[in-house]
Amino acid sequence: MQLSKDDLLKAYRMMKTIREFEERLHVEFATGDIPGFVHLYAGEEASATGFCMHLDERDKIASNHRGHGHSIGKGCDVHAMMAEIYGRGTGLCGGKGGSMHIADLSKGMMGANGIVGGGPPLVCGAGLAAKKLKTNGVAIAFFGDGASNQGTTMESLNLASVWNLPCIFVCENNGYAEATSSKYSVSCDDAADRASAFNMPGVVVDGHDFFAVHEVAGEAIKRAREGKGPTLIECKLNRYYGHFEGDAQTYRGKDEVKNLRATIDCLDQFRAKVTSASLLDDAELNAVDDDVAVLIEDAVVQAKAAPMPAPAELLTDVYISY
Amino acid sequence: MSSDDHAPSIGILANPAAGRDIRRLVAQASVFPIAEKRNMITRLFSSLGRLDIGTVYMMPDGNGIADRIRHALETPPPTGQTWPRIEFIDMPFEDRAVDTLVAVDKMAALGVGGIIVLGGDGTHRLVASRAGDIPITALSTGTNNVFPAMREATIAGLAAGLVATGQVPVAEGSVRNKVLRVDINGVQSDLALVDLCTSTALWIGSRALWKADGLDQLFLSFAEADAIGLSSIGGLIRPLAREAENGLMLNLAEPDNAPMVVTAPLAPGLMVDIGVEDVQELRPGETIPLRATSGVVALDGEREIEFSANENLAVRLEWDGPLTLDIPRVMAYAAENNLLTRMNQSSGHAKRANQ
Repeated sequence: MQLSKDDLLKAYRMMKTIREFEERLHVEFATGDIPGFVHLYAGEEASATGFCMHLDERDKIASNHRGHGHSIGKGCDVHAMMAEIYGRGTGLCGGKGGSMHIADLSKGMMGANGIVGGGPPLVCGAGLAAKKLKTNGVAIAFFGDGASNQGTTMESLNLASVWNLPCIFVCENNGYAEATSSKYSVSCDDAADRASAFNMPGVVVDGHDFFAVHEVAGEAIKRAREGKGPTLIECKLNRYYGHFEGDAQTYRGKDEVKNLRATIDCLDQFRAKVTSASLLDDAELNAVDDDVAVLIEDAVVQAKAAPMPAPAELLTDVYISY
Repeated sequence: MSSDDHAPSIGILANPAAGRDIRRLVAQASVFPIAEKRNMITRLFSSLGRLDIGTVYMMPDGNGIADRIRHALETPPPTGQTWPRIEFIDMPFEDRAVDTLVAVDKMAALGVGGIIVLGGDGTHRLVASRAGDIPITALSTGTNNVFPAMREATIAGLAAGLVATGQVPVAEGSVRNKVLRVDINGVQSDLALVDLCTSTALWIGSRALWKADGLDQLFLSFAEADAIGLSSIGGLIRPLAREAENGLMLNLAEPDNAPMVVTAPLAPGLMVDIGVEDVQELRPGETIPLRATSGVVALDGEREIEFSANENLAVRLEWDGPLTLDIPRVMAYAAENNLLTRMNQSSGHAKRANQ
């Protein structure tokens, strides 16, 4: 699929927004103003963007603890996200969810998830609903290499296959489950190997290359929309920060991240490719950079100025009424 | 296990990543499990041990084949079998193509008498780029390959061992292969063993070339009518044996605008109509500039090189490719020369057989 100029600009804007959102959180979290934990997605932007560029209002996603990138990709409001992470009443979930429980059902973003392997079962439900209601929608679960070992993930792969659901399971393998190397903890080189056990295609893709992810994602989503069933896709990528902010990362090699940033950064690769092919020029990309910088600065300023949830809100949103 | 440091050695290079690309999604390409690669390797051990190969050098990997081999080595070989000493090469593992190149260089430096490769066309292409005159035993791990064949590892191990130990001369048991070399701005850049195809696609993307859209020129070192992949396009028009002196060059076009349309099996389960403008012989040493000014070059079915208008690319067919074992020929030589048979003189059966 050849992408239009508008598509390319949209993809770059999405990746850049995720990057700047995370880079700013890295700085702001250190000030102590943000409650709870944050797990940053910087370095992995090509994965969320490569998939979410294909999605629309019919589609649902379920994320994990590292969910900011997926949320931005699925169209969640950046200001409301920032306010949520700051625990403010104007946040996407009224300031009650924070980073790890951020969600916006109106956008088809079923939630970040504090439970490792919590997302895959959710997309089976969303996929079943799409199939029964004939919406032609798809449901995508983003999870990590740690979650690829979880029973919930295996059960979901099985159920999606048994029911031939329009689900795509995206294992974002960044090499570490918290501090444990996937080379130690995953029983195969590629988590995608496990697909054959569940009678579905398994594909490995370079998660640093937006164009590679976008191509594979497009085919998997097309296949799901055509009723041909689920797919397991493993994006090999890297995170630039620790498992959580504050993680000393003593398990990583010296200069590991520095080398990754210098050699295979997804934004740098994207810029080099589109400018080399004369599809976009540096001025157009720099203009996006400037827009995004203003957006993120404004989101932080507004979040900090926003009120905390009122005490009267303490017992709301606990149960949902049917 | 043997521990004779002076005994011949062999390298085994098994690519754990082979067979995980987009063709599993857009076609019905086979999935070759790691467990079966491990089984193939232990069958190789059995053959190599029987032929007194001293050491087998292997490439380390993340958590796949190497780990399973280490588990297998924790217990004695099956009854009646003697395995060689197995040594994992001391090298960093980056889970990238460069691992294969480093491993081949190290095996060459260790003086191996052969390299057994388990993988697809892409893995063999990487090995061929560094192996020099070390004989390669090419084993396919999947149905989507042309250069390596699917063979029983036990027999492949015997053939590799017979050549590495000198019982079958290299000249008797191996063949030289052609390669397609690509030059960028006059500098030799990379090679393909079977097919080199240009496309107007902009990106390397997910690597595999599986759509007819934008295919521009196809260069083939050989073309078999029963092949899978891009070489089938030539194979279905003008079959060309591996040992044929020349190669082929095809100029491609959209099917609606071409004088000939070939229904080609581009991947397992994937039949695609390809338009062909013309087919020409490609003579060794002849340099053919690419007619496209920008796009991508696919080597053995995988997009590898993005090029733009300020780069001049050209293709050459050369007869300086890798040496590969001709397994049937090696085994026939072994039979003719009784390399794997012996007469039991104390047996009445043997006396009768000798009469």
